[in-house]
Amino acid sequence: MGQIELQHVTKRFENGHEAVADVSTSFAEGSMTFLTGRSGAGKSTFLKLLIRAQQPTRGKIFVNNINIAGMPERRLPRYRQHIGVVFQDHHLLSTRTVFDNVATPLRVAGLSEKDVARRVRPALTTVELDGKEGLYPKHLSTGEQQRVGIARAVVIRPKILLADEPTGNLDPALSRHIMELFARFNQVGTTVIVASHDVSLIETMGARILNLENGRIVSDRVTEVPSGLENSSGEMS
Amino acid sequence: MVWFVVGIALALPAGLWLVQVNMEEMTVEWQGRPGLSVYFELDASPERIYAVKRFLVQTPSVKTVKVTSAADALAEFKNYSGLGDALELLNENPLPASLQAQFADGITGAVVDALTERLGQQVGVGEVVVEKTWLERLNDISSVVSRLSVVLAILFGMGAVLVTASSVRLAIEARLDELRVLKLVGATAGQIRRPFLYFGVIYGFGGGVIASMLIAITVLVIEPPLQSLLGSYDQALNMVGFDPIFLVVLLAVGGSLGVLGALIAVRQRLAALEIF
Ligand SMILES: Nc1ncnc2c1ncn2[C@@H]1O[C@H](COP(=O)(O)OP(=O)(O)OP(=O)(O)O)[C@@H](O)[C@H]1O
Ligand SMILES: [Mg+2]
Repeated sequence: MGQIELQHVTKRFENGHEAVADVSTSFAEGSMTFLTGRSGAGKSTFLKLLIRAQQPTRGKIFVNNINIAGMPERRLPRYRQHIGVVFQDHHLLSTRTVFDNVATPLRVAGLSEKDVARRVRPALTTVELDGKEGLYPKHLSTGEQQRVGIARAVVIRPKILLADEPTGNLDPALSRHIMELFARFNQVGTTVIVASHDVSLIETMGARILNLENGRIVSDRVTEVPSGLENSSGEMS
Repeated sequence: MVWFVVGIALALPAGLWLVQVNMEEMTVEWQGRPGLSVYFELDASPERIYAVKRFLVQTPSVKTVKVTSAADALAEFKNYSGLGDALELLNENPLPASLQAQFADGITGAVVDALTERLGQQVGVGEVVVEKTWLERLNDISSVVSRLSVVLAILFGMGAVLVTASSVRLAIEARLDELRVLKLVGATAGQIRRPFLYFGVIYGFGGGVIASMLIAITVLVIEPPLQSLLGSYDQALNMVGFDPIFLVVLLAVGGSLGVLGALIAVRQRLAALEIF
């Protein structure tokens, strides 16, 4: 069984729309996966199910052999403390410094201020934001803001890192830089799932690509480790 | 601002409760000795006054009779009103002589009515005031006040809860982004709720402080005139109820209403908080 295992998972909204329809798949520990598909295909919903921001209508979702679909509300905080999440619009708090933004998950988990500082600084180093900890998000470039969001997601050293359109409004060079950052976290053993419709970029990343359409998996393949920057533009329908 | 609204919402019922408690205290004291007062006309001669007094003394249902001459009344009035100097300017004493009678125990309303009527017919008598009716009125007022304070306490209590709830809701609204992030990174419901419950306590507590200040000011303002009013009825003003226990209860009630408001707001707003 993979670290994350979905069995016949369906998410149907009140209006009857099925954003995820009878999906069964699994993600091995330490794997890297891109979730792709058109707008409305169900990528965000898929990720929301994994962090139980939404409850599946049917099916089971095992994470480390625990069915999170049936997890009681009071145990969710603990579960979420072990998963890193990155968004397109990075969800930074404008009234907090970079340091405080990144420190939030550690403080929620109840770490002492000493341990908080001990963990925030290396996290900022990994995303190349040394020396920026005292600044406010509005003083940073978009790419830097996105990296603060990533630092906040990885500062807890999650076993699983989820990202929803993390390169949504970045230029191609920055996008690649961010994706390579995810690849680096993956190389140290983190299971990474990134939702993105930036096909030309993810085709070159040498990872598994899950293609969703109307909530169903229509293709599941692994691209070759890139040998240069050429674009294999075959598959996407 | 919220403190003031909550404060006023708490002060009104609490103040009325005080009024009612004090009224009950007074009626208890007064009930023991109901009687009547006869106010004579200004030109009533001492003989007339004496005749009325003798009539009352001979009436079996009257226990004691006391005469206050016009001069006594003036002296007393000067004493209580502090207007002594101004009164010196008057050539004539504007106050009438009067007579206070106390009823024997167990007197019936019919006897009192008959007596009042006969006294009113006496020459030289201006007005007959039966304390009994005053008393009944006071009793009526006191039960009205008591009901009113219950109704107001409920209404204003609800008001205080709603005011804190909407203030806390605003505070939540203002921090919604932060709360989403907190929930996403695994903050417990308690962690997310706690600061807003503190808000509620502070609003409610502050309201309690404002309310006790408002009541204290009101007591200060009305005490001297009330004292002289009661003095003229031979009553010492003896405020009851406005004590440390009352203040503690007021603060505690304020705090609890605040928490209740905060809980309502939190329940409405945070339960359905989408984390992304
Ligand atoms: N709360 C909801 N109620 C009803 N329908 C919803 C709800 N949330 C999402 N949907 C629908 O579910 C489908 C999948 O939405 P989702 O956000 O997962 O798509 P996506 O693949 O992330 O799209 P995008 O690339 O635009 O972000 C869409 O058709 C969307 O309208
Ligand atoms: Mg999406």
